[in-house]
Amino acid sequence: MWNPYDPLPARQRRAYGFASVALVLGVWTVLTAGSLVPPSKLPSIVQCGAAFARLAWDPERGESLLLQATTWSLLRVFVASVLVVAIGVPMGILMGAEPRINAFLSPLVDPLRSAPVVAILPILVMWLGIGETMKIVFLFIGAVVFLVPMVRDAMQAVSQQHWIAARDLGATPWEAVRHAVYPMAKPRIMDAIIVAVSVMWTYITVAEYVNADRGLGQLISIARRQSAMDKVFVGIGVIIALALVTYSLMRALKRALYPWESE
Amino acid sequence: MSEAQQAERTNDRAPNEEPASFLDVTVSQVVQEYPRPDGEGVQRILDGIDLELNAPTINMLLGPSGCGKSTLLRLLGGVRPIGVKSPTSGEVRIGGVPCNGPHDEAVMVFQRYANRPDLTVYENVAFPFRLKLWRARVPPAEQETRVQEMLEAVGLADKAELRPSQLSGGQNQRVALARALVLRPRILLMDEPFGALDAQTREEMQRLLIDLWKAQKCIVVFVTHDVTEALLLGDRVLVLSASPATIVDDFRIDEPRPRSDAWLMSTPVVQMKDRILQRLHGSKSHGQVRVSF
Ligand SMILES: Nc1ncnc2c1ncn2[C@@H]1O[C@H](COP(=O)(O)OP(=O)(O)OP(=O)(O)O)[C@@H](O)[C@H]1O
Ligand SMILES: [Mg+2]
Repeated sequence: MWNPYDPLPARQRRAYGFASVALVLGVWTVLTAGSLVPPSKLPSIVQCGAAFARLAWDPERGESLLLQATTWSLLRVFVASVLVVAIGVPMGILMGAEPRINAFLSPLVDPLRSAPVVAILPILVMWLGIGETMKIVFLFIGAVVFLVPMVRDAMQAVSQQHWIAARDLGATPWEAVRHAVYPMAKPRIMDAIIVAVSVMWTYITVAEYVNADRGLGQLISIARRQSAMDKVFVGIGVIIALALVTYSLMRALKRALYPWESE
Repeated sequence: MSEAQQAERTNDRAPNEEPASFLDVTVSQVVQEYPRPDGEGVQRILDGIDLELNAPTINMLLGPSGCGKSTLLRLLGGVRPIGVKSPTSGEVRIGGVPCNGPHDEAVMVFQRYANRPDLTVYENVAFPFRLKLWRARVPPAEQETRVQEMLEAVGLADKAELRPSQLSGGQNQRVALARALVLRPRILLMDEPFGALDAQTREEMQRLLIDLWKAQKCIVVFVTHDVTEALLLGDRVLVLSASPATIVDDFRIDEPRPRSDAWLMSTPVVQMKDRILQRLHGSKSHGQVRVSF
């Protein structure tokens, strides 16, 4: 007997989670240990662990390639996030608040949500070269096309009752947006930011493929060229881990900022 | 077309001018039509309402469900419906000035309290002072004393730092009432403000409203579907018919408040109550079905 609204006890939930991960690791071990799949296609867990250790600290060169790559990727995602929030959030708020601005901008913004962002990379390279600017702009575009419509929708999802109550008290339209609608939309705007940053982590490898120049994407693309599958796995694993960590941190931030939201 | 109507505010007072003790409200031949939901033509909701409120009294507005009570209330200085000409014809004057939208002296209290969940009780009551209009009218020091006094008046002084989610439904409605009264409005519009409360809390709130009103008299227009509430609170009880609505009854009640159960049980009051109930239930089906009590 089960019921979709009945939350599982924490212990049971964790047990199921462990089971799924263990299952994948188990299949992985069987496939590699029995040499069912050649190591050039699928490295073993042990190999990946060793590759991780080497990347984390290279005693011959006395440096950590992984730390360097991670720092660069983090920096790029951070800079692009700041830009996305600084430009995309106000834009979405204006679109959600003023139908004329929405009508004017949505033909430009909405189709981009399903545009092949990766395909614009060559264009960006032609326009902006292969340096940092191109990478940041690419991450920015990839994320902002998701963020802006989500922020607009967050504004429009606020019940009109809040607007009416503020207008009745004598608020100007702008005051009603600022003091009644926007504060109610904040938690969902934060959700939009969380999605946008998560999207950036999926695009980081693409951004760093061109002109392999430090970063996790570069680490992966070099490893791929050397057919070092274990390093490719490590690179992907680290990106997933970073994405998870930023996601959890931002979720925690959201809960701390808007404790009233769940009611 | 709706833009101009919606944005228009009526203001009849310079920022530092003292308010007159009350404003008179005159509704003449007001008709309100709305487009039908199926898009076929219009339906008439209010059908020539005439009403004069010329003293600071409590006016209870009763009527069958969906007859246009909220629509009429909003015409008396609240936010007009969006996207419709409102009123369709006729005129509302407040203090002799035609009123075409939210009026600065009229404040509305809704059934679903519009308290901001992220603000404390204090901040919610002080909310209007975030707006230019009220900042210009009330100096900061007075804002603070008014909020403090209001919190004490509604019995929430010790809850000032809590958030709406930490309050009961009745306490939340007190916050909404305090936020309206802190502006000392001359017209207080209440749309089934206690409709969502349990019977006991509703009685408490009714007593509180009377006390607050005695301390700070203004024109109250109070929509309710509870006939007993109307009889307990009103100087005047107005009954609307089913839409297209007209005012079909207009009782004046002189009994001082608070009104006792004995008074409520007295023959003339019971008769009045029966008559109103018949209006409310009978008129819904144009008198074909009579409900007896
Ligand atoms: N903006 C609008 N556009 C179209 N129809 C509307 C609009 N506002 C109200 N109506 C319709 O007008 C009628 C009266 O609405 P109103 O809310 O004034 O009634 P009410 O007496 O307050 O009802 P209730 O007892 O449910 O509170 C209803 O049939 C409603 O559907
Ligand atoms: Mg109503």
